[in-house]
Amino acid sequence: MKTKTSVIITLAGLLIAGCGSSETVNIDVVNDEGKAVMGLDYRDFNQAASEMVQSMISSGALKKPGGGRYVMTTARVTNDTMQRIDTDQLTAKIEQELMNSGQVVMTAAVGGQGAPDEMIYEMRDIRDSATGDEFKQETLAGKKTLIAPELSTSGKIMQRNIRYDNNRQQVEYYFQLRVTDLTTGLVFWQNETIIGKRGSNRSVSW
Amino acid sequence: MKTITNILLAAFVFTFAACDQQPAKIHVREGIRSDDLGNNIVTRPIVIAFSGLIGEGIEIDEAILGRNDTGFLELNINGHNRSFNTKRFRYKIEWLDANGLMVQTKTSTWLPASATGKSSFSLKAVAPRVEAVDFRMDTKKWE
Repeated sequence: MKTKTSVIITLAGLLIAGCGSSETVNIDVVNDEGKAVMGLDYRDFNQAASEMVQSMISSGALKKPGGGRYVMTTARVTNDTMQRIDTDQLTAKIEQELMNSGQVVMTAAVGGQGAPDEMIYEMRDIRDSATGDEFKQETLAGKKTLIAPELSTSGKIMQRNIRYDNNRQQVEYYFQLRVTDLTTGLVFWQNETIIGKRGSNRSVSW
Repeated sequence: MKTITNILLAAFVFTFAACDQQPAKIHVREGIRSDDLGNNIVTRPIVIAFSGLIGEGIEIDEAILGRNDTGFLELNINGHNRSFNTKRFRYKIEWLDANGLMVQTKTSTWLPASATGKSSFSLKAVAPRVEAVDFRMDTKKWE
């Protein structure tokens, strides 16, 4: 009888513990001890962005001759993976670090997917329309005030799925980025970061 | 009992004989290089087992800090893996300013590193802010 009670208590305990694992918890994004996933997660983007920024800064490609900061824009970073990725997950981190480094100032006037901040042009449309008369003229942006970018960042995120053995697959992600001088068309810097994952065939990487 | 003591003593001697080898510029691995007295088909399993038993791992030999041409602090870390197995780990470098306060940067994240058995490794990091004057580094197991 005592043994039976013990077994029931143990089973009940296990059941409760099992139920507990399905609860929602916040991820410790600073020291995430969670298992790796076959798809790209925020840790992969952090790693890729960190390696890209460090490579860019240590190369000296962003040191402007004569001093000052380069004006930079982000052109197109193509998502050539099987996942729905907003490539801003990568570029936003890189832009932030480059601006904070003091070597670069980003422009929101032009970008690979249009102006990152459309308000720049909306305010100019207002200036040129009848509504513009409602504003103090000296507070409206004048013509020929925007500064053109000197450098552009562009790149690609690629994915390759390879059958490793009967039960496992290998997924390779390639983060490729380059910085181009928009005056000459010359590439000042280029880098590739590879993140590889090997896991069950049943894991889905899209 | 005497036999066990002799085996342990031999393993101890062979382990330290192997440790005496300084990290060389050219590393010719076991199975490719010629066997010697301290490392051969008879002693190797004992030495490997003993290395695992005493829990050999990676060691940092030096951390060289300097400013590069663009004025950013650059850190080069040289170390070696004492164990016979590849050690995969993660490291995170945090940059400190003149007041000892941490400089907030997205580059301070856990990055992967790997050192093959009985070989040297190097890590390089660049502080993305000019205000960084010092660093601290943490390591953890590769999950």
